[in-house]
Amino acid sequence: MVTQIENPVLEIHDLTVSYDQTPVLWNVDFSLPAGKLIGILGPNGAGKSTLIKAIMGLIPPTSGYVKIFDKPINDVRARISYVPQRESVDWNFPASVLDVVLMGTYGKLGLFKRPGRKEKELAMECLEQVGMTGFVNRQISELSGGQQQRVFIARALAQQADLYLMDEPFAGVDMATETAIFQLLRDMASSGKTVLVVHHDIHSAMNFFDWVIMLNLHLVASGPKSEVMTEELLRKTYGGKLNLLTKVTDLISKKEFNPLKS
Amino acid sequence: MEDFVYFFTFQDPSIAWVVIGITLLGIGSAYVGTFSFLDKKALLGDAISHSVLPGICLGFILAGEKNPLYIVTGAFLAGGLATFLSSWLKKNTKLSEDSIIATILSVFFGFGIVMLTALQKSGNPEIAGLNSFIFGNAIGISEFDLMIYGGLSLTIILVLTVFLKEFRLMVFDPAFGRAIGFPINGIRFLFNVLMILAVVIGIQAIGVVLMAALLITPGAAARFWTDRLNSLLILAALFSILSGILGTYISFVIPQMPTGPWVVVFLSLFALISFLVSPKSGIIFRYLKRKNYLRKTHRDHLLKSLYKALEEGQKGLLIDKIYELYPFQKKEIHQSIIDLNKVGYIYNNQGIIILTDSGVTEAMRVVRLHRLWELYLNESLKIAPDHVHESAEQMEHLLTPELEELLEKRLNFPSLDPHQETIPREKNDLR
Repeated sequence: MVTQIENPVLEIHDLTVSYDQTPVLWNVDFSLPAGKLIGILGPNGAGKSTLIKAIMGLIPPTSGYVKIFDKPINDVRARISYVPQRESVDWNFPASVLDVVLMGTYGKLGLFKRPGRKEKELAMECLEQVGMTGFVNRQISELSGGQQQRVFIARALAQQADLYLMDEPFAGVDMATETAIFQLLRDMASSGKTVLVVHHDIHSAMNFFDWVIMLNLHLVASGPKSEVMTEELLRKTYGGKLNLLTKVTDLISKKEFNPLKS
Repeated sequence: MEDFVYFFTFQDPSIAWVVIGITLLGIGSAYVGTFSFLDKKALLGDAISHSVLPGICLGFILAGEKNPLYIVTGAFLAGGLATFLSSWLKKNTKLSEDSIIATILSVFFGFGIVMLTALQKSGNPEIAGLNSFIFGNAIGISEFDLMIYGGLSLTIILVLTVFLKEFRLMVFDPAFGRAIGFPINGIRFLFNVLMILAVVIGIQAIGVVLMAALLITPGAAARFWTDRLNSLLILAALFSILSGILGTYISFVIPQMPTGPWVVVFLSLFALISFLVSPKSGIIFRYLKRKNYLRKTHRDHLLKSLYKALEEGQKGLLIDKIYELYPFQKKEIHQSIIDLNKVGYIYNNQGIIILTDSGVTEAMRVVRLHRLWELYLNESLKIAPDHVHESAEQMEHLLTPELEELLEKRLNFPSLDPHQETIPREKNDLR
């Protein structure tokens, strides 16, 4: 069940993505409306993070394309903000909270230029939005998981984008932080920003999102929450084993060459 | 002593030149090395530095003499080839990174030694200087050498300063860098070039075998002292400069002494000192912190015993009686009595230890924390009353006033702990 949109913010056309030569996403095709809080749901290994990375152009697609604001990603990077998984970086790196949030301003600064007073003020505003003003000069390794996640979100806010892609921003986050962040994302969506969130908890997804994408190696559903959060689609996403697709994947990864490469 | 004054007053212009050279080299290599240390690519620096040897020999063969231009170019190309090969092998084979690096290091270095030996047999009189590339000889540097090595060092320092923000991003979060459209692959390429250059500038003064130490050790030692990138870079450079100058001094004073090993000895000394005495992460500091903490726990235990005696109606306790309570901790208890006496919490009245007014207040605080924690475990975490004492024995030394307030509120200012003992507060003062 896929609801397509006229004039979408994000259009994904027949996207297939592989790691080395193992396909992890098959023919994903959907489009998304603006100003919505959108959840990407699916079991472990369903390809949720891969989808986000493919949208950001961090992994080249095997086939298909992605268009954002009707343009290829490289033309609109300044309007897109990305929150990688918290575990993807080394938090022992010598940096303060402010240093990390300032990285959000690097994109607009471009090469060579250093962040100045204007950037610092912006970073402070973003820290205030996530309730972390008291931690500006804290070494990042001294933060709790939830605080680190908030720093990452503040960094994304500092990018001042129109489309936000967040990879598991609620992993390892306490209930209070989760509610606070969701409220923040909701406010962003109502001010016209589009927020795309990889999420693992179906229960809270029910409450929070406007629009839901369900993924399990292929696209199960994409549409307004009320239409796609059905028992049948959830079972399709989480329940049934995709025996056939998994077998084909095995077959391909065991080949001595990449048969999908043209 | 004469040597010392002669060297460090820089009367000899050639010594001044060498010191300037080694300072620039120190800054450049520490700067690059700190980034590769943070990027967890320390081994790559070692591989590159060993791999430049065949390039040095090739440069020598082509020039027919020890011409720094030829030698630097040869070294740079060999280092570049090694770097390229290691990333190519990583991409196109399933070998692990450490085996790739070990292989490249030994193959290139072995090849270089073969060439060097062949050259030595050739009878070229210029060959003598070539040996210094193995362990380095800072004193043997000519002015022309200095221009080239110093110039390259300056270039490295300049490029790193200009691209500081980009390199920070490349190390901390390259995926985010790509996402905001930074040419991370290009930045990494530039960094690899700087890394090879940093090795090349050190081959004359430090030598190919030990150059990796000059890259990695300064950053590793400085990391003990600071949590900020800028101060880390400055401190690393400082360690590197000091070791460089001291190493050069030794090889100036003692004839035939290579510079590289001595620089590394001094660097290791800085690293060792950092490991031992730096605050927060140094082991001596941590040992003292722990010792102080244990002393506090013993004082707290003595206060508690005196307070319990007070609860049972005894004004004080005989010293011998106290020792009986802690049969295996006589020394510690003796120390606690001295400590508590000094701060005015207790006094000794003819062998009887008695709490002073402020002593009672402090003892009440410790006992209160102990009993509050027991109650918290029992009420909020549903742990049986006979299982809560051990944990409270530890928490009574740790809980802060803020946490105490939270506990009080959470438990609604209780009057009894799970063992039906009174939780002491100012209002039920026993004095």
